[in-house]
Amino acid sequence: MPIDLPPSERMTSGHLACPGCGAAIAMRFVLKGLGDRVVMVIPACCWSIIAGPFPYTALKVPVLHTAFETGGAVASGIRAALDVKGDHETQVVTWAGDGGTFDIGLQSLSGAAERGEDILYVCYDNEAYMNTGVQGSGATPEGAWTTTTPTGSPKATRKKDIMQIMAAHAIPYAATASIAYPEDLVRKVQKAASIRGTKFLHIFATCPTGWKVPSEVSVGLARLAVQTRIFPLYEVEDGERYTINVEPKGYLVDAYFKAQGRFKHLTAEDLERIQERVDHGWSRLEALARIA
Amino acid sequence: MSPVTLRTSRDLPPTSRSLDTMEWNHTGSWRFLRPRYQDKVAPCAEACPAGEDIARVQMLLAQGAFDRAWLRIREENPFPGVCGRVCSHPCEAACNRGEFDAPVSINSLERFVADHARRQGLAPPPAEPADSGRHVAVVGAGPAGLTAAHFLRRAGHDVTVFDAREEPGGLLRYAIPAYRMPAEPLAWETGLVMSGGVRFQPGRRLGEDLGWDELSRFDAVLVAVGHWAPAPLGVDGEDLAVDGLALLEDVRRGRPPEVGGRVAVIGGGNTAVDVARTLLRLGAEPVVYYRRRLRDMPALPGEVAELREEGIEIQTLLAPARIAARDDGGLDLALTPMAVLDEDGGQRPRVVPSGHPEIAVAVSAVVTAIGARPSPGTPAAGLDPDGSEAVALHLRRIRPRGEWAERPPVFLAGDLVNQNRTVVAAIASGKEAAVVIDAALRDRALGDAWSAIRVGRKGAVSLNRLAGGDRAFRLDHVVRYDDLNTIYFQYLERKKRPRITLDERRTGFDEVHLRISASLALSEAERCFHCGQCDHCDNCYLFCPEVSVRRDPRAETRQIDYDYCKGCGVCVVECPRSAMVLEEEPR
Repeated sequence: MPIDLPPSERMTSGHLACPGCGAAIAMRFVLKGLGDRVVMVIPACCWSIIAGPFPYTALKVPVLHTAFETGGAVASGIRAALDVKGDHETQVVTWAGDGGTFDIGLQSLSGAAERGEDILYVCYDNEAYMNTGVQGSGATPEGAWTTTTPTGSPKATRKKDIMQIMAAHAIPYAATASIAYPEDLVRKVQKAASIRGTKFLHIFATCPTGWKVPSEVSVGLARLAVQTRIFPLYEVEDGERYTINVEPKGYLVDAYFKAQGRFKHLTAEDLERIQERVDHGWSRLEALARIA
Repeated sequence: MSPVTLRTSRDLPPTSRSLDTMEWNHTGSWRFLRPRYQDKVAPCAEACPAGEDIARVQMLLAQGAFDRAWLRIREENPFPGVCGRVCSHPCEAACNRGEFDAPVSINSLERFVADHARRQGLAPPPAEPADSGRHVAVVGAGPAGLTAAHFLRRAGHDVTVFDAREEPGGLLRYAIPAYRMPAEPLAWETGLVMSGGVRFQPGRRLGEDLGWDELSRFDAVLVAVGHWAPAPLGVDGEDLAVDGLALLEDVRRGRPPEVGGRVAVIGGGNTAVDVARTLLRLGAEPVVYYRRRLRDMPALPGEVAELREEGIEIQTLLAPARIAARDDGGLDLALTPMAVLDEDGGQRPRVVPSGHPEIAVAVSAVVTAIGARPSPGTPAAGLDPDGSEAVALHLRRIRPRGEWAERPPVFLAGDLVNQNRTVVAAIASGKEAAVVIDAALRDRALGDAWSAIRVGRKGAVSLNRLAGGDRAFRLDHVVRYDDLNTIYFQYLERKKRPRITLDERRTGFDEVHLRISASLALSEAERCFHCGQCDHCDNCYLFCPEVSVRRDPRAETRQIDYDYCKGCGVCVVECPRSAMVLEEEPR
């Protein structure tokens, strides 16, 4: 069956993303799901560059480029301004990278969520500070090479579970999505846009440059992350009700890790440990989905 | 599109606000790899000896374009209604879907599209006038001869087909039983060959009613008279046995023999199966005796399965030793138990007497179906490696020596030359004959052209490729299962072919397999992966990070805008059916 997405196109050619950029693909799909009445807030991240330098833009929606830590706060302010103008329809969307979400912007995101601001916060996660040259972030997975976690001492700690953090805020809607599952992604954007309150989307977006993979496998690798249960696709409603959206085939994690240069130093024992962790994470998620 | 120019501070907007899009930035200059749409060869098309464009036919069927699907098949094979019934369908064995769930039911779909064409009375486009000034004689109106005649006529030659019998079709008309190959669909398709301008002279048996003086007046002669001479059994009392092919012919001529009781059928090929199933329908109780094992039977596995469903017994590892008349008018058949001697890789094993005592069975008749030999009248030189040479995979040409020096070029095709004597191999042979004879009549050397007109590496010839049609532009890479991105396909059950009831099968000659319905055909055709053929699924368009795949407003064509394409190659990998390639950027 052909993939069925809304035909609208609000991203232009000529942008500055690297070839095969997952964040560019993610932006294209999210805009397809959002429609016309959108204001976008982009704190410092790859997309601050990708969208183009002044006086140009690759996005056909209003965008505010803002400071790194302000994604939640600026969106809250725009929401308030629109409300004052009587415009309760325009969707305010924060589009932030993993650095601006997991680390630098976490307090403003948490504040907005705690206040229940009516915004959609989208984190496109490429698992490091890519635009400044691949520095490790709170989203960088355990074992990964980055310039700040070099091969001799790769990232020793686990990836922060941002979905648990957001679920703990008991916001009405939080979901994971992947560039490899565009119909699921667009559906989640549309669903989020239809809900009042703080909504959070965590989108897996391959970075061929930073992950040291060929650009053509960008989407395929994202699919593998889902199929290996490394990045399961699920929704959490009101911080309580978990729904798994794509039943993964459950491939072994080796296929995913061995495809990437940033993991090439990992040993068989490392992969075994990671497999156990992934298996445990999956059973935990299944258990949560059962409770719901 | 040119960038915005800001010369002085007065040109600046009051706030730092964008004034234009990024489309001035032609990112195509970053590219060092170039994706490109490139259709390839599907494994079914490679495996089809007739070189049918199967994946494209399935695509047309799934779109409901039944008429175009029929025309597409006929480009390569004038007999889809025949092949949809009796073909051994090697295409299905090669189908990539077989590795996923089960092969597409290509054979049923071919039958469906041919029956649709016949019911709708579709007509192929009229043939060009026969203006080459050359005349070709085709001797034998079986699948090989008629296929050659059809394509030679369409190539502009005047063609006369001679046949010993009254109606065209050869074995299809006079041997294969009506429950597999009814007369009507065959007559319709042979009729289309004739109405395309081929002349037919019935009742002209080579060596009896047709001589080389007459044939020598043509510019080329193709002999495709098949194998109709019975092979000798080589045992005592064999003159008491009946020839299986002769029996089948009598039945198809409406003169069924009086049979009853237990009848022994000797052999393990398709003829043996046809004979046994025919005898059952005539009221006898046939038993098949075969010298090797069940798994060694050269008959099509589907035919053997249906024979067993109908309750016919097969006794294996038994070879006939002797036939003797009994006082009651019946026969005694003595059989020697056999043992497999060696089993060396793939070939049918040799068998020898096992040393166990002979078995005697009392039967009312013995019918032999152990293979046949070239029909009488076949020029001996044509079968002899000194007298003739292979000029293609399924074609021999008699060397112009001795009595043949004065005659026009003479070729042999069909069962006379084929190792694998199936209907579709005969059609393949007829196609090669048409290609070679046309080239000879036009004084054109084929030489290197073969590689350009074959499909894949198994030898099938494509007349679309020969004529420079769309198939000529396909990359000669056969798409394998690992080339596909199967995540985009869902498991779907292969549709079963409906059949008449077992009671109806045991008692009459009605066609066993029924036509599948149009809705079943549509959903079965949708199972096809369309390996190597763009079917406009739009994955390339949707996943492009550069928004650089352009579609026309009706989404019928796709083009990569190389002004912006950065050559990431995501489109090529996400193409489910390997209809794109990623190449180094030309300098």
